[in-house]
Amino acid sequence: MKFGRIFSKGILFDNPVFVQMLGMCPTLAVTNTAENGLGMGLATTAVLLGSNTVISLLRKFVPAKIRIPVFVVVIATFVTMIGMVLNAFVPALYASLGIFIPLIVVNCLILARAESFASKNSAIGSLVDGLGMGLGFTLALVILGVVREIIGYGSIFGTSLFGEGFQPATIIAMPPGAFLVLGLLLALFNKIMAKNVNEL
Amino acid sequence: MKDIIKMGVILLIFTAISAAVLGVTNSKTEVIIQERLHAENIAAIAALLPIAEDFELVEDATLEGRNLLVEVYEGSTGGEIVGYTVKANPNGYGGRVEVLTGISMDGKVTGVKIGTQSETPGLGTKVTEPSFLNQFVDRGVEKDFIATKGGEAGDEYINAITGATVSTEAVTEGVNVARRVFEEVLKSR
Repeated sequence: MKFGRIFSKGILFDNPVFVQMLGMCPTLAVTNTAENGLGMGLATTAVLLGSNTVISLLRKFVPAKIRIPVFVVVIATFVTMIGMVLNAFVPALYASLGIFIPLIVVNCLILARAESFASKNSAIGSLVDGLGMGLGFTLALVILGVVREIIGYGSIFGTSLFGEGFQPATIIAMPPGAFLVLGLLLALFNKIMAKNVNEL
Repeated sequence: MKDIIKMGVILLIFTAISAAVLGVTNSKTEVIIQERLHAENIAAIAALLPIAEDFELVEDATLEGRNLLVEVYEGSTGGEIVGYTVKANPNGYGGRVEVLTGISMDGKVTGVKIGTQSETPGLGTKVTEPSFLNQFVDRGVEKDFIATKGGEAGDEYINAITGATVSTEAVTEGVNVARRVFEEVLKSR
């Protein structure tokens, strides 16, 4: 498979959120603002790049019977490292993502890529796959975050859009809003994709 | 049996490497994190008690076991104690609310600040805004503060935030915890 195709699969055709419906916990929980969505997406991408590459390099040395524990150890190591680095150098983001940073370990997107791609493909291919999937995840989280922040807070990336008179719909910034906005975005994404596929 | 031992050894190797990598990362980042936390803590309490230059944690047996009290810092200028900052964690609507209160030696609130909280966005979070918190500033601490919706005038009344009664009560309680510990212990230390 060509690298360009692997990459575009992650961003669009197999988008982790809009198509595969993977990693729903962080998707719903930390997209109340665009900045949080971006931070979560990039942290997950970093973990995915590391875990995919290492697991691909190790695939010949790991017996099939214990591959899942080994994958989890590799993933957990990267997540813990990212957590420490964020806490040291980007404390504001670390504080706003909170418990969802250690929870990247159990993001099924990462284990899914390790199991279904990295354990069967070359290191470079796995790196590209991690980048594509990670950026696809980031893109979905940022879209969700932008929509929720505009409606729920009347701002975008922390910059106020409408001035004092705007009455934000707080429900969109709260947990129920995550389900509402995600549902509508899924419908929209599927509509657009279905149309494109029919035309091809 | 042989298989199990082989698998075990392989897993051991992986976890050992992982532990080594994490140990190195931790030793590099821990210093930075600790320094930042300390600086943040001092910066937060310095804003509450602007007249003080140096801050020191108060470790006193009389402070232990007090309800909702977290920690007390003593602020001093030129060796003389000018006031205290008190951290309390009363229960709000969505969990604990960290309330930091600065009180000067002459018994006046010099500042109130909210630390970590998980109140309802847009409603309860209004208690973190200066327009609410500045109500406490320069008030005397002889009596408990009372949150009110009716707008009663008086030194001990605080105007509650509409739709966020529980959060308002929590912050008021936090300041009252500080007030009581000041009146009962700190004033006469």
